[in-house]
Amino acid sequence: MNLRMSTGPHLLDKDTTQSLMLDVLIALIPATALGVYFFGVSAALVLLVCIVTAVLSELIWQVLMKKPVRITDFSAVVTGLILGLNLPANAPLWMAALGSAIAILLVKQLFGGIGHNFLNPAIFARAVLLASWPVHMTSYVLPQRLLLGSAAPSGVDVVASATPLLSTSQWSTMDLFIGNIPGTIGEVSKAAILVGFAYLLLRGTITWHVPTFFVGTVALLTWVLGGNPLTAVLTGGVLFGAVFMATDYVTNPMLRVGQCIFGVMCGVIVVVIRMYGGYPEGVTFAILFMNCITPLIDRYSKRKVYGEVKQHA
Amino acid sequence: MSIFTFRGGIHPLKDRHEGKSETRDKPVKEFVAKTVCIPVDTHLGAPSVPVVKKGDRVLIGQVIAEAAGPRGIPVHASVSGTVTAVGKMQMMGKLPSPCIFIENDEQDEWVELTPLGDVEQAAAEKIIPAIQAAGICGMGGACFPTHAKMTLPEGQTVDTIILNGAECETFLTADYRLMVEQSQRVVDGLRAAMRAMKVSRGVIAIEDNKPEAITAMQQAAAGRTGVEVATLKTKYPQGGEKQLIEAITGKQVPSGGLPMHVQVVVLNVATAAAIADAVKEGKPLVSRITTVTGCVKKPSNLLLRIGTSVSDAVGACGGYSEEPGKIFFGGSMTGLCIPDDQVPMTKANNGIVVLNEKQGKSHVENPCIRCGRCVEACPTKLNPMELRNLLDTDKMEEAEKKNLTDCILCGSCSYVCPAKRWLVASFKEAKDLIAARRN
Repeated sequence: MNLRMSTGPHLLDKDTTQSLMLDVLIALIPATALGVYFFGVSAALVLLVCIVTAVLSELIWQVLMKKPVRITDFSAVVTGLILGLNLPANAPLWMAALGSAIAILLVKQLFGGIGHNFLNPAIFARAVLLASWPVHMTSYVLPQRLLLGSAAPSGVDVVASATPLLSTSQWSTMDLFIGNIPGTIGEVSKAAILVGFAYLLLRGTITWHVPTFFVGTVALLTWVLGGNPLTAVLTGGVLFGAVFMATDYVTNPMLRVGQCIFGVMCGVIVVVIRMYGGYPEGVTFAILFMNCITPLIDRYSKRKVYGEVKQHA
Repeated sequence: MSIFTFRGGIHPLKDRHEGKSETRDKPVKEFVAKTVCIPVDTHLGAPSVPVVKKGDRVLIGQVIAEAAGPRGIPVHASVSGTVTAVGKMQMMGKLPSPCIFIENDEQDEWVELTPLGDVEQAAAEKIIPAIQAAGICGMGGACFPTHAKMTLPEGQTVDTIILNGAECETFLTADYRLMVEQSQRVVDGLRAAMRAMKVSRGVIAIEDNKPEAITAMQQAAAGRTGVEVATLKTKYPQGGEKQLIEAITGKQVPSGGLPMHVQVVVLNVATAAAIADAVKEGKPLVSRITTVTGCVKKPSNLLLRIGTSVSDAVGACGGYSEEPGKIFFGGSMTGLCIPDDQVPMTKANNGIVVLNEKQGKSHVENPCIRCGRCVEACPTKLNPMELRNLLDTDKMEEAEKKNLTDCILCGSCSYVCPAKRWLVASFKEAKDLIAARRN
């Protein structure tokens, strides 16, 4: 009899890093499927290039650096897919590949690999692409196909340089919700994002705090400043960013209270950039900025340790 | 009815009823082994001193090792028969334990017992000495001598005794069966302890996944002075002493303090039953209920004599059902591994769990992904992720400042960690180092 000895716990929870990443991928299926449905083959190609480049970059780096190969934890797939969903369907493939490589190599691996990146890799890569090739990044095509056939804008396949953020009157609320609008591949269908959000909550992969405070703040602040809270939430990347990017474990605060602050601050920055900044959309910069602030939030949000109380008389 | 609980915690093995479904409806069966090996140093405190030698005939309940020091407790023969050796046996600890080996002559002969009488009538000042003489120590796992816990320093008072019937650990159903089948013994023991300590309130705390035990204890407690039954939420570590006290009284034991500093003493339900035997019948602690489960053919709740070997206990359950890869005493969260199946039962051993080779395998640690699950789970409100990073970078003092020593080693952080980090293991190592340095 050869018995192993160790300290407890002797049986562990079923969730692993891999299963959590798989959960995120499953939650992204509706947004991915609808994105490909709306924008066609070109969208599928962008997503494919992003994922393949992300995984290959990670593999090559880990092999060259003689580090344990961790591509089977699916975190590179998640990064690649999220970056792809953040790009317009007509984005050049070389740009998609470059973005993926930046995300994995520059943000993730150079800082020590999974768990050590202080910025969300996908969103940093998006910011780099946005600053470098603003025209490619903001030229959105109209959906090739529509869902639940709503008032289709005339002239399909025309490149619309304006996002719905700049000309919201053109679209019905239903179109904004379903995704019959120009935008990045993954952000257009709010319905699909919400299905993914529900799945993540149900599985306990993420908690509601960051997305709810993020989106809630955007709606509230927009309303206070005289805007339409519903269109503010249903246009641009707020919902996608709040559910899939601001909730990245590595780059948001540890404690619930910190997560609430993080969500609120993200919302404030988005509205400020949208209303007063030079960019039509501010989700990318809001999340990036708050990623940087996260260590500070963690440092100053404390909770009372058990027994740190005055003795009851 | 209100349900009591604490903040934080986890629900281990939720999808398989905490591993308890195999044994929860199995009535307790007695099993007596042919030989026993009784360790004399398993309680906290100085090891007892053997007073028998090879060849001596001993009776059940006879003192075979005498108490040493004020915290010491005597050890009694658990079978009648012949002492075959006074030697050593490798147990869970680093060094082998001194043990007394006895061959059972199957006569089942007891020494003459001197009962104190009914728990409501017995002289209150004689109860604690009787508990010490009966060799009783905490049967929930810690094995702290019960008389020492009940003897308060000058000027210290307590107003509540909580009986811990939470049994929040996975796999274990020993306390559950005790409460269902022998509720009167438990209440009698509680009353004896209350009278000995002059305490007016006794609370029997049970998790809400054990409704039969709650009903049984409520019936047994009816009409008894100052005894009440409290329902706890099913959550781990609900039966942790500090969590239990917070749940029942709303008070937190101050950091570095003891339950008595918030006027509470916590006893395990099995300990209470042993107290009842000591007072009513003068019987020392020579047997206990233990859950034997996992990869055994017939998972059971057995009444075992102290010193019964694991292999005999497993034999009484039909033997192993698979090649064992790991065996531990207690539940899967905090159970202590044993090196082989010749290791004997101790007074604190509420479970023998056998895992197969696959379940017993070690696992690879992955990088932390900062998911924060350990932070959510920690019942002490520590930040396990941060503590582990501090320990990894040799910043022990910083970790101490972040309350490392308040960690109760419940293992919740390690259980929930998706990266399968060895969190609690590193905290135990660091706490041992700190304790060694302070002594």
